[in-house]
Amino acid sequence: MTEPVWGPVHQDIVGLLADHPADVPAVVDHLTKLQDLLVRLPPLEASCPLADFNKLYLVITTTVLDGLYDDRFVDPVFLARLDVEFAARYFDALRFWTESSPSTPKAWSCLFKRMRGPDARPLPSAAAGVNAHINYDLPFALVTTLESLESEPVDGSDQHRDYLEINRIFAERIPELRRGYLDHWQLMIDMVNGDIDDWYQGELVEYTRNVAWRNAQKIWRCRHDPEARECERTRLDDNAALLGRLLLSPLGAFLQ
Amino acid sequence: MASDVDTAPLVGRADTMAALRSALLDDVAPGHTAAVFLTGESGVGKTRLLAELSGRLRRVGALVLTGSCLDIGDASPLHPVRQALRRLDAELTEARTSSVVRGLLQVFDQETPGPDGAGALLERVSQGLHLVAAGRPLVLVLDDLQWVDRSTRQLLLYLLAGLGDLQLSVLAAVRAESLQGAHPLRRVLTELRRLRSVRVVDLAPLDRAGTDELAAAIVGGPLAPEAADRLWQRSGGNPFVVEELARDLRDGRDDLSDTLREVFLARVDALPQHAHAVVHAIAAGVEPVEHWLLAQVVRLPEEELIEAVRAAVAHRLLVGADEGYRLRHRLVAEVLAHELLPAERAALHRRYAEALTSATAELHQARLAHHWRLAGEPGRALPAAMAAAREAERLHGYAEAHRHWSAALQLAAAPAAVPADVERPPPVEVDRVDLLQHAAEAAHHCGEHARALDLLAELARDPAGPPACALHIRRARYLAAAGRSAPAEAEYRRALESPDCTPRERATAAAHLAELLLHLGRYAEAGEQAREALQLATEVPGSTSEVVLASAALGYSEAWLEDPEAGLAVMRRALETAERSGRPEDVACAYLHLAELLTGPLNILEEGVVVARRGAERVAELGLGRTWETRLLAIATNGLFRVGQWAEAEKVVAAALRHRPSGADAVELLLARCRLSVGYGDIEASDRDLEAVATMLAGGGARHVLPMLILRAGLAMWQGRHDVARQAVQRGLTESRSDDVIVLATLAWHGLRAEAEAHASRTMAVDPTAVRRLREVVDRVTRKSERAGAPVRYVADGFLALCAAELSRLDDHGDPELWARSAAEWDLRNHPYPAAYSRLRQAEALLVRRRRPATAARLLTEAYRMAQALGAVPLSSEIRTLAGRARVTLEERTAADPRPAPRQRTAAPAAAPAVDELATLTAREREVLAAVAEGLTNKEIGQRLFISERTIGVHVSHIFDKLQVRTRVQASAIFLRHGPE
Repeated sequence: MTEPVWGPVHQDIVGLLADHPADVPAVVDHLTKLQDLLVRLPPLEASCPLADFNKLYLVITTTVLDGLYDDRFVDPVFLARLDVEFAARYFDALRFWTESSPSTPKAWSCLFKRMRGPDARPLPSAAAGVNAHINYDLPFALVTTLESLESEPVDGSDQHRDYLEINRIFAERIPELRRGYLDHWQLMIDMVNGDIDDWYQGELVEYTRNVAWRNAQKIWRCRHDPEARECERTRLDDNAALLGRLLLSPLGAFLQ
Repeated sequence: MASDVDTAPLVGRADTMAALRSALLDDVAPGHTAAVFLTGESGVGKTRLLAELSGRLRRVGALVLTGSCLDIGDASPLHPVRQALRRLDAELTEARTSSVVRGLLQVFDQETPGPDGAGALLERVSQGLHLVAAGRPLVLVLDDLQWVDRSTRQLLLYLLAGLGDLQLSVLAAVRAESLQGAHPLRRVLTELRRLRSVRVVDLAPLDRAGTDELAAAIVGGPLAPEAADRLWQRSGGNPFVVEELARDLRDGRDDLSDTLREVFLARVDALPQHAHAVVHAIAAGVEPVEHWLLAQVVRLPEEELIEAVRAAVAHRLLVGADEGYRLRHRLVAEVLAHELLPAERAALHRRYAEALTSATAELHQARLAHHWRLAGEPGRALPAAMAAAREAERLHGYAEAHRHWSAALQLAAAPAAVPADVERPPPVEVDRVDLLQHAAEAAHHCGEHARALDLLAELARDPAGPPACALHIRRARYLAAAGRSAPAEAEYRRALESPDCTPRERATAAAHLAELLLHLGRYAEAGEQAREALQLATEVPGSTSEVVLASAALGYSEAWLEDPEAGLAVMRRALETAERSGRPEDVACAYLHLAELLTGPLNILEEGVVVARRGAERVAELGLGRTWETRLLAIATNGLFRVGQWAEAEKVVAAALRHRPSGADAVELLLARCRLSVGYGDIEASDRDLEAVATMLAGGGARHVLPMLILRAGLAMWQGRHDVARQAVQRGLTESRSDDVIVLATLAWHGLRAEAEAHASRTMAVDPTAVRRLREVVDRVTRKSERAGAPVRYVADGFLALCAAELSRLDDHGDPELWARSAAEWDLRNHPYPAAYSRLRQAEALLVRRRRPATAARLLTEAYRMAQALGAVPLSSEIRTLAGRARVTLEERTAADPRPAPRQRTAAPAAAPAVDELATLTAREREVLAAVAEGLTNKEIGQRLFISERTIGVHVSHIFDKLQVRTRVQASAIFLRHGPE
């Protein structure tokens, strides 16, 4: 009998993932519960690399929720649904991983594999999660959200502005978490938004925050074509996985 | 013919089968709907499970329809449903059902494009299905739902929401891999899986024991431990893989293949030559490939062909059924794809296209276009693509039409891959501008706004394209539909300034611009623009639509700018104009705007209700029952609800739903009916409507989510489920726009009420964060409503009074003064429901403080009388409970019927004489007669009642017939004898 994927908290995590949160308050609740479970996962417990990401994600999502209550966004329906769709993809990846399914996105599995060790530094771990989530999940979450709202990814729209507002949330919340590593974080956030080629070319600072948006526009155009859509999905998954593995390699530790 | 050489047993699915059977049949209450969505990776056995279940359901008396969706992205709308019907037709032996099925198939064939065509088609299809089912439970089984077209998706949601009035279960299989990324079904399933009537079942691979059992069944005995281990490792429990690997193992080919791909590769290699040709031909076709078609493509003598097919089936590469052949697995196509040279593949497609040209088949045009394109002959694919586009438009499938038009555009620009041939017909001449126009319009209709705008840009670059002004207007229309108001405004202004603008175009642009400005909240500018549009329209004959549109904008603008009388007068004149010279739609539109103006910003509810109902009658006469009548009746229902005539509202909404509306109209009515059910405390009915609304909203329609959440919170409140109410409010608050003051105020009241009642009844702890946030919302609403127009402020103030009073319940036991103020606010608005509720709370607060018990008793009596008159059961019972505690005696009307008052009220209006000669008259005829008795002429009556003079004449002659009189004087005498009510 092999040990279950999530060790002693397996049943709890399976139970949690059976539920599909439908609104932002429920997403925050979900992430909070998940955090409590992840830090109990042996052998790393509190230093579980996924917990590092989950904690960051929880902080960001809580800030988004506050923003929704506080009238921070122009089109809250869009942002609330985007947030739910976005989170759903993280939970999906966890579900696939739980079932040891070959469908687990590669972008995520490189982080999940490290869950039981060897230990990675918290900063690159969190960044690897952010990488998978933004570079892989976000464009698809955007397309699904816009489609269900019968809208479109149009530059300069209210929705686009709200979307960019999230970048500001990252910028606001990250200094609290960075404990003195602002420059590295800044670089990381810029980097994880871009394809790895762009990163090497050093062009990213001006435009890569918009890469997920651009990718969403690209998927949007081929969304009725199952083959092209799948092709795009694989491309994003491969790219994100490449960057994720890099972040979790000894090279990633320079960030800390 | 044998569809399969030998079939493996179904292993490890007994529990799933039983659960699905009860979900789809046994547990479905009569008249209800249910759905099961089966997800799983390919090869996990979804199709097999569908087939087994279909058989089982059929055996217990269900009528099972089975269809599958196609992966050619440019299929035809509603294809799976039509395919299912054709399959049923082929199987049927009873003549009666068969003719019903053919009748339904003809509905599709005879469909013509037109306004509200899509909705009417849904209605006709559901009626047809009703007849086909003939009282049996109906199960619609759909495979490969990941490729479903938009029209079928809408049909499913419509039927599942119960709008088709059909007891139906849906069983559909979805390939899990396809749901990754951004598949449109993802969101639909996320929404649906929350409903009680829907299950999303993830079909997992077999476990180790299941794997062993299946392998043993195929091999004919248990495997050696080592072989069993290897099989388990390689297959991962995927039954398809287990089966194929076990077969190879049995036949001694174990070492050859490690993966499924290799299994197929080895089999393809082993095929005889003719069979090889057959599988290649099928791989190039659109499945299922009919036998006659295959024969023409492969060009073998009949006997050799059959032998070749048999060999391919025996090698487990092909599956055959009555309707045609398909490949056994997607992987077979992948394996084969590497074997053919491009020229060979093109030749196959050419043969398909040639064969299909001379005979009609399913999806005729779409397939022709597909094969000619892949045969490298864009010139011959083009007319087929255009025909397929028109065919899709005929069935209102604009998404598919748009794709066909786009393909046609590409084909028109593509050079032929084969040299011209004198034998072939010359390529058709196609007008590119015409193609662009069609493509743009189809894109606009299916919500591809950005694409529609791109196509317009191309059209603008074409020298043969339409003139500048027409383009500006069209661009503005597309932009407005996309919600991009600022650029839309600019385009309308450009149209107005354009030198080639005709007077008609100018009137159109001005009227639409006025409407746009109104939506942007720029009331003064909207009014000005509307006046200009009306001015321009006077010079253009036949511009009634523009007059109606501009008048509505002007009417609203005046109403917001606090000159309601002027606004109303404009809108009334527009209605007269529409009646005099407009199309039926203009009349309907004018009635709608007038009713909305009255029940909305002007808050003249009674008159608004009368106008809405009168309008509904009128548009039904004009043949616009399905769309406009239901819209007008929705307005009437909501107005009647607010003024407290719930029983009447219930009748109106039932009448409207008999039209089986679809889309947003249906949602609006379901919400209206649910509002009544919540008030009545009919939990089952409310729940059912909320589920139906949620089902419809799974397909889109964000603007109805908030009303749904408010109702959910209201219902939960009466059930004492304050946590559910809190959740609904929280979701609502995170999804509402800050400028939607009324929605925010309503949500805040529900939220505070949930916390206050939780506090009072101790059902859950008060959430201080929630309360803090609700206070902030109240503050924000207060600030914003001060700046809003008077009509918004008017409604918001009512809710703010309720919020303030609920807050006082959280601090202590409620401030009677605040509740008194709230009661007064709602009395002022003539809205008895919240007024009665406020009195209850005021009495409660007084009683707790032991102050003025007599006042409390009076308030309770009043509240009870009001609640009873409404039929508001839960509110009444809460009042009774408090009265019991305070020893206040309430007068009961009738103990037996829980909804006594309203039923009585509508049954007997006023004091009618024992023998009423007027009883035979309709309500409308009585109105006319009353006006006749006043001495008005038909023309004057027409003006008063907003109907044409001619219609009045018809009413008058009916009145004469029924009363058996010949003159107006005699008729008036009878009317006066019975006394005006």
